[in-house]
Amino acid sequence: MQSRFLVLFPTAMVAMLLVAIAGVLWGTADISWSDRFAILIRAEDAPRGLSLIVWQWRIPRVLAVGLIGAGLALAGALMQTALRNPMADPYLMGLSSGASAAAVAAIIWLPASVTEVLGVPVIAFTGAAVAFLMTLGLSQQRGHQIDPLVVILAGVAVSLMFQSVTAFFLYIGDPHVTRNALGWLMGTAAGTEWRELPLLALSLAVIASLSLLRSDALDATLLGEEHAQALGIRTGRLRVMIFVATVVLTGLAVSIAGIVGFIGLIVPHMARLLVGARHKVLLPLSMVLGAIVLMAVDLLCRTLLAPQELPLGVLLALFAAPPFIIILRGLRRAS
Amino acid sequence: MQADFALNIRDLSVEVGGRPYVRDVSLAIPKGEIHCLLGPNGSGKTTVLRTIYRALRPSAGTIVADGRGIDECSHHEWAQKAGALVQSSGLLAGLTPEDIVEIGLSVLGLSGADLARRRDEALALVGLSEKRGQPADRLSGGELQRCYFAQLLASDPEIYILDEPTNHLDLHYQLVLLNEVKRRGRTVLMTLHDLNLVARYCDHIHLMSGGKIVDRGKPSDVLTRQNLMTHFLVDAYFDAQSLVIAGPVVT
Repeated sequence: MQSRFLVLFPTAMVAMLLVAIAGVLWGTADISWSDRFAILIRAEDAPRGLSLIVWQWRIPRVLAVGLIGAGLALAGALMQTALRNPMADPYLMGLSSGASAAAVAAIIWLPASVTEVLGVPVIAFTGAAVAFLMTLGLSQQRGHQIDPLVVILAGVAVSLMFQSVTAFFLYIGDPHVTRNALGWLMGTAAGTEWRELPLLALSLAVIASLSLLRSDALDATLLGEEHAQALGIRTGRLRVMIFVATVVLTGLAVSIAGIVGFIGLIVPHMARLLVGARHKVLLPLSMVLGAIVLMAVDLLCRTLLAPQELPLGVLLALFAAPPFIIILRGLRRAS
Repeated sequence: MQADFALNIRDLSVEVGGRPYVRDVSLAIPKGEIHCLLGPNGSGKTTVLRTIYRALRPSAGTIVADGRGIDECSHHEWAQKAGALVQSSGLLAGLTPEDIVEIGLSVLGLSGADLARRRDEALALVGLSEKRGQPADRLSGGELQRCYFAQLLASDPEIYILDEPTNHLDLHYQLVLLNEVKRRGRTVLMTLHDLNLVARYCDHIHLMSGGKIVDRGKPSDVLTRQNLMTHFLVDAYFDAQSLVIAGPVVT
């Protein structure tokens, strides 16, 4: 499997670069080939308006979806390991519902002046963090270590609660405002600015590096809680680190692009099928595949119905269904 | 005196969720001996083992291995001294038997040629060389147990902690693997339900009931008809190292 990684990883890196370039070259605005290259090399005669579209609109957006795809795939792979559950994903701990409820409440209920000052991204991040803390609180059992199954059930309970909050605000909201909130719920990276990228990039770099440094401990965790403890791994501490990493990555992703589902669930499975489950190969490939998938989906969302844009969630759900069915069939065979 | 024993447990008590599971258990194992914790279900055997491999914290008492207390060692150092074969379920999708053995070795700090040699030898010992690259989640229960056994044999710690090591194993591999453990001359503390295997392999038995040690000694001294009737509710006795069973005691 690791020899396959040596072939697949560089190939995936090249593919990621090509998709990123495609994401910059194509979009809703029609730009001629000569202008595209003039803009990219920042030639003096490049049209200013189009140059603005590429440098202030497309490039930060492509980088953002690449980083978000990589981050969600990394968070998904880590959550599946921490909970030893192949169906775990970054949104499992109520994160998406918490973020959605907070954002929708802010968009529909809070005065525009307040939402303007705080910003929907910050409010969404706060919602995700609150939901995470509630899930973690509900998962604690006195005298016992955290049970992965209890975490999942607690996540479901918290999600249901926040979903009812979201549904309530969508129901009572003004239809125009509700449409705005729905767009956010279905995920979009439109309007991403350069200033939003450094924190996400830095967090991703730090969490990815730490995860790779602890790849042996993560491997041992796959064998079971007690097995890992017998090998000298402090599983409780490791799991808290993974939960915090997931909240940071997912919270930042949600704050930039709204709810982007399925990447964290499906992409780690794809990577596992290709190179196996050892984290030193699984995590890098998951991140690159996550970036490729989300950049490609974002490009399609921008171009399929141009000049109108589709939300990310529409196409992601469509692309996620076939691999999801394959994974389910594989799980059934294995059991 | 403590340093004379490879593993020395003094006055160990363990509570889980506020309930006492093990009370005032003391036992000492001289280097190279095989000791067995024996007792009916729920007597606290596995709780003692779980505390030794640090899945649980003792509420009182001390555990000392080769003269060093459990709290004086890092988790990593302790795992190098006392390796365990445990009953645990994992997420094995994407792993192979080769991976499972390697994970145990790399967590303990081995790499390169030494890791490869130990991995290959251990997989050969447990008869999994030909299945080394197959998906671990498609192995049978017995094959998976052999795989975990291979991980422990590859790391070969000073002290073996074995929780039901013969689970899922056919008779051939029960004998092969316990013979291998005995041949290595390591210090062993294990739980076993098969009394014939206990009589065959163990130097010393600690009989547990209700979280306490109620009897101890050589197998011939502990596996008496009276103990089997009282603690196992079985009317049975040993005749020339073989268990003769009359039937369950009607309560």
